[in-house]
Amino acid sequence: MGKTISIIKMRKQENLIGYLFASPWLFGLIVLGFFPILMSFYFSFTNYNMVSAPKIIWFENYRILLTNDNLFWKSLGITLYHVVIAVPLGIFVGLFLAFLLNSKIKGISIYRTLFYLPNVVSVVAMTLLWMWLFQPNFGLINQLLKPLYDLFKMEPLGWYLDQDLSKLTLILMGLWTAGGSMVIYLAQMQDIPVTLYESADIDGASWFKKMIHITLPLMTPSIFFNFIMGLIGSFQVFTIAYIMTGGGPSRSTYYYAYYLFDKMMNDNAMGMASAMAWILLVIVLIVTVFALRLNKYVFYLGEDS
Amino acid sequence: MSELMLPKQKYRSRKKRARIVRLILHIVLLLCSLVFVFPFLWMLVTALKTPAELLRGIDVFFPAKPQWSNFIDAVQKIPFFMYLKNSLIIVVLVVFGTVMSATTAAYAFAKLRWKGRDKWFIVMLATMMLPIQVILIPTYVMYSWIGWLGTRLPMIVPAFFGGGAAFYIFLMRQFFKGIPKELTESAIIDGANHFQIFLKIMLPLSKPAIVTVALFTFMGTWNDYFGPLIFLSNPDHWTLALGLRAFQTQYGGQYNLMMAASILIMLPTLIIFFFAQKTFIEGIKFTGIKG
Repeated sequence: MGKTISIIKMRKQENLIGYLFASPWLFGLIVLGFFPILMSFYFSFTNYNMVSAPKIIWFENYRILLTNDNLFWKSLGITLYHVVIAVPLGIFVGLFLAFLLNSKIKGISIYRTLFYLPNVVSVVAMTLLWMWLFQPNFGLINQLLKPLYDLFKMEPLGWYLDQDLSKLTLILMGLWTAGGSMVIYLAQMQDIPVTLYESADIDGASWFKKMIHITLPLMTPSIFFNFIMGLIGSFQVFTIAYIMTGGGPSRSTYYYAYYLFDKMMNDNAMGMASAMAWILLVIVLIVTVFALRLNKYVFYLGEDS
Repeated sequence: MSELMLPKQKYRSRKKRARIVRLILHIVLLLCSLVFVFPFLWMLVTALKTPAELLRGIDVFFPAKPQWSNFIDAVQKIPFFMYLKNSLIIVVLVVFGTVMSATTAAYAFAKLRWKGRDKWFIVMLATMMLPIQVILIPTYVMYSWIGWLGTRLPMIVPAFFGGGAAFYIFLMRQFFKGIPKELTESAIIDGANHFQIFLKIMLPLSKPAIVTVALFTFMGTWNDYFGPLIFLSNPDHWTLALGLRAFQTQYGGQYNLMMAASILIMLPTLIIFFFAQKTFIEGIKFTGIKG
């Protein structure tokens, strides 16, 4: 009898101690997480501008954004363009690099370090560096391409100063950090049991077949992970455009998050900005849910099929 | 045909092919490394050029007379040391706060049984997916209400309450879980309480994981631009990342000075990365595989 009571007492105590240890984080989650989410939901139905008290205007913000704001649709379109190109391209380059490094040649860890290096650089410094590299008149890239320009008798490309190329310029710069996802791909590739390849060798499978039937299927968890993370990140692209193009030229890189930033910091239109944030959340949620349905094609090793 | 080949011949031709494949692989790898590393090199030689040499592009690869004074100019054109001090204040406190809040929460998730623990854990993972903008606007408004705008507090205080630490909590939790139960159980029998176990057993045994968390937090905070852009309205509090941007808006065309300033900002992160490569790579692997 006395023993069970002390166990119950211990359980109760552990419950308390558990909450105690989690309390700093829990407090943060509630005050800096839950509460702001509710507040931003509320703001999105008001005309709050930091000066006068918020007044509820119901769906007016959403109505204006969706039906009467060209810039909203334009910035959303630009962002979608970025997502649709940058995410698959990033996965492709990351995988390509990982495939290169997944072999038994010398110096692999040195190459891995070199490929990863751009990821530790400040975004501001990285963007300034690529502005200089892409600089149309004196930049390294146009100088290296000069023979090609001469060959095809074309004008040098304007990169971030050309409204048709500005988004692609930012995407290309982003590929410089593909080494981050490469490390994840490579780790997973090296986890694939050698026996699988050995038995495939016995069956006389070619390199290509092994790749399609063994490597790629077993890579799906990390591809999926990078896909989701890439989606979420790309929908929020802001800083690189803020530094390199200022949203231009002709608003060609005026991404959704950039427009939201302007609404918030320049116009103090907190209600409108909150509505934009919620629309973004819903879009990201829908896309993620669709992506999660792809999860059934993801193959987890060590799982009963 | 191949069946008619003698085994030895077959072996030899296969070996030859493997050698060619390896050669091609080496060439492709070298080309790729060039793409990844050459920009750094170009940055350095640019930082050492005179304005006249800048305009000549690749005609001048290495400057005739390296202008080391560009670095001094870059430092003197902006209040560099003030920015450095501001960055350090924020980075040190954020690293400290994050390690504290992440380890305590992780201990609760890994080693203690409390009501709703697993639900909270899922909530924590879900916070990683949330677009920052949804939370940003109300927190900005809240800080303005309590008079924190124009101070450094919005950059520092959240770290002590697990702000942005979801991934680190996850990482620490996995690490704590790997520490054998017997160790904590025997400590309890010896009369230790959970705070003593946490401080005297768990933390000392988790040094590698704590170092990982500290390094990632350092990198993230040192390089952060968006947070300071929103919250550090007072120029006297600006960090190096904001200072570099200010430099760009003022001296936009002077790429030699801009590259010099950029190098100075990158240097600490590059040096740390070189010394702690393994920790970083392991940490990144962890995100992908366990996440």
